[in-house]
Amino acid sequence: MVSPIITATHVTKTFTEPLEFKVLNDISLTVDRGEFVVLVGPSGSGKTTLMYALSTLDTDYDGSITIDGIDIRSLDRDAIADFRNSMIGFVFQFHYLLPDFTVLQNVMLPAQRRGVLSADEMEDRAMKTLSMLGVADQATKKSSKLSGGQQQRVAIARALINSPKIIFGDEPTGNLDTKNTTLVLDILNELKSELNQTILMVTHDVQFARRADRIISIRDGRIVDNDEHYSPSSH
Amino acid sequence: MKKTSARSPLLNIAWVHLISKKRQTIVAMLGVMFGVTVFIFQAGLLTGLQSYFVEKTVNTTAHVHIYNDVRVARPHVLDLESDTSSTWTVVRNQKPRDEERRLRNGYQILREIERDARVEGVAPYLGLQGILRYGMSQQAGTLAGIDVQREDQLFHVADNLIAGELQRMETLPNAVILGSGLAEKLGARLNDNITVISSRGVSLDMKVVGISKTGITLQDNTRAYISIRNAQRLLQQSAAYITDINVRLRDVDIAQSVATEFQNVFGYKAEDWKEANANVFGIFRIQNLTVSFVIISILVVSGFGIFNILMTIIYEKMPDIAILKAMGYRDRDIRRVFLIESIAIGTTGGLLGLLLGFIASKIVGMIPLNIQGFVSVQYLIINFNPMFYLAAFGFALVSTTVAGYFPARKAARFDPVEIIRSR
Repeated sequence: MVSPIITATHVTKTFTEPLEFKVLNDISLTVDRGEFVVLVGPSGSGKTTLMYALSTLDTDYDGSITIDGIDIRSLDRDAIADFRNSMIGFVFQFHYLLPDFTVLQNVMLPAQRRGVLSADEMEDRAMKTLSMLGVADQATKKSSKLSGGQQQRVAIARALINSPKIIFGDEPTGNLDTKNTTLVLDILNELKSELNQTILMVTHDVQFARRADRIISIRDGRIVDNDEHYSPSSH
Repeated sequence: MKKTSARSPLLNIAWVHLISKKRQTIVAMLGVMFGVTVFIFQAGLLTGLQSYFVEKTVNTTAHVHIYNDVRVARPHVLDLESDTSSTWTVVRNQKPRDEERRLRNGYQILREIERDARVEGVAPYLGLQGILRYGMSQQAGTLAGIDVQREDQLFHVADNLIAGELQRMETLPNAVILGSGLAEKLGARLNDNITVISSRGVSLDMKVVGISKTGITLQDNTRAYISIRNAQRLLQQSAAYITDINVRLRDVDIAQSVATEFQNVFGYKAEDWKEANANVFGIFRIQNLTVSFVIISILVVSGFGIFNILMTIIYEKMPDIAILKAMGYRDRDIRRVFLIESIAIGTTGGLLGLLLGFIASKIVGMIPLNIQGFVSVQYLIINFNPMFYLAAFGFALVSTTVAGYFPARKAARFDPVEIIRSR
């Protein structure tokens, strides 16, 4: 069996304000390549904090997290930024598109940071990704002119532009109506099945959780259930 | 489709930020612009007048002036004899000693100085206060007894004549050249005969052979040139009697050291032109200081303008900063975005300021003013020294970069997790 893409060992994170408490308490887990994992748990359980730690945005914890064989905390800030740029894509609850930029400009931002492709190649790939997500016709519009569902699809295109190894999501459907939620979930499933994309999402959404390969339940900073498949009792 | 990728994303982001805050950007830019304009204009105006004055001074006064520094006040005789800390002495009406103002061996000193290789020219001088009378009008003035040829070599007396000829000073035994202001006050014109009276009571009838205008108001209002021989006659002194020696050097910048040397060699007070005009240079220094403060405060204020707009942008664009960091933009990329913004404001504001400052200087330089002050000039003299333009632009860039640096650093240090979680 291939080595897991994410390995977390004894990850503990302590908040000292206002009271000392362990928001993550000795968490160890692995995520395999091509796996679609969701983190569930009540609010305040630490699931979002765990996601930020696993996705390199937060490095202030004890223990170790290894992604694709690299111990994240052995890297300096710039190296982590570079790592994130090439290895990780994000989809948040809010789209976080730059409102005064066009859809195309938004999608190309991570690729421009990476600077591997020529301008034409970047644009080409951005257009392909946009058409895969069904929003290619919006490319020249300002992102603020799009509907919520379209914006979230553009955000997914932006997350995919550098062909990241892992897509992290924080309630990516939390702000969408049922129709758009279904649409976004279909897209994510497609990514998983067709591109073998590793996906790790934090969600409240039962419908979302049902589609995942594995559900990890967090409560009070600990993993209470690490199921292979969705079952109603898991949270 | 528009090629957007050709431009660096950082420049693009900076540009979009500035455009989205058009009004504030323009205000911040105007701040820098006015700072630079005032810098250029003030510095040009001030140093223009100052260098005009210096040039006039260098041309019309001696680089080194040798004279007998008579100390009139002397300690009371009883104070010399008694211990003043325990005794109280009173001496009334102790008169100043009759000390001669003359330079002993004046002409010998003059010839010796003339042989010095650093010296371009040297001229004797005998000055006295006198009354000039023309009919019923009467004016006090400084009678400058000069050796005409030497004086002309030193101070280009002929160049300053607005009427008459210098040669007639030598051909006519009793000739006088009046300062323009003095002539006007007397009501005397060229070829009029006036009377000159000294404090010794000697009076001479003299013919006005020239009117001189140097542009230095005080001189033009009080000075009259006469021959040194006539000055000696007015003071009832012999032909060897001179009180001052004026020296003109080939290099005006060494005046101070030469003055010190002459003072040591000849035993008379030797003063360089800067020392002689110390009061004026003191005023210049205060002027420069004042203007520097004005310029600095304007640039500081414009710096705050930039600081302000960047802080506004940064707080408004926190989500943008967070997502840029999440997608792998480094801290320094974020810092660069905001530095680019402040430098863009500084550069455009600075360039506009240079242009406006230049135009303002040109326009003001064309307005006829006829100032009669310290120096009399028809137009404001403005210094267009490119160094000012360089310095003004440099200051603008430095102050805007400094003002932009702190907000930029703040933005670079934002924690994206905190921003994203607080939504």
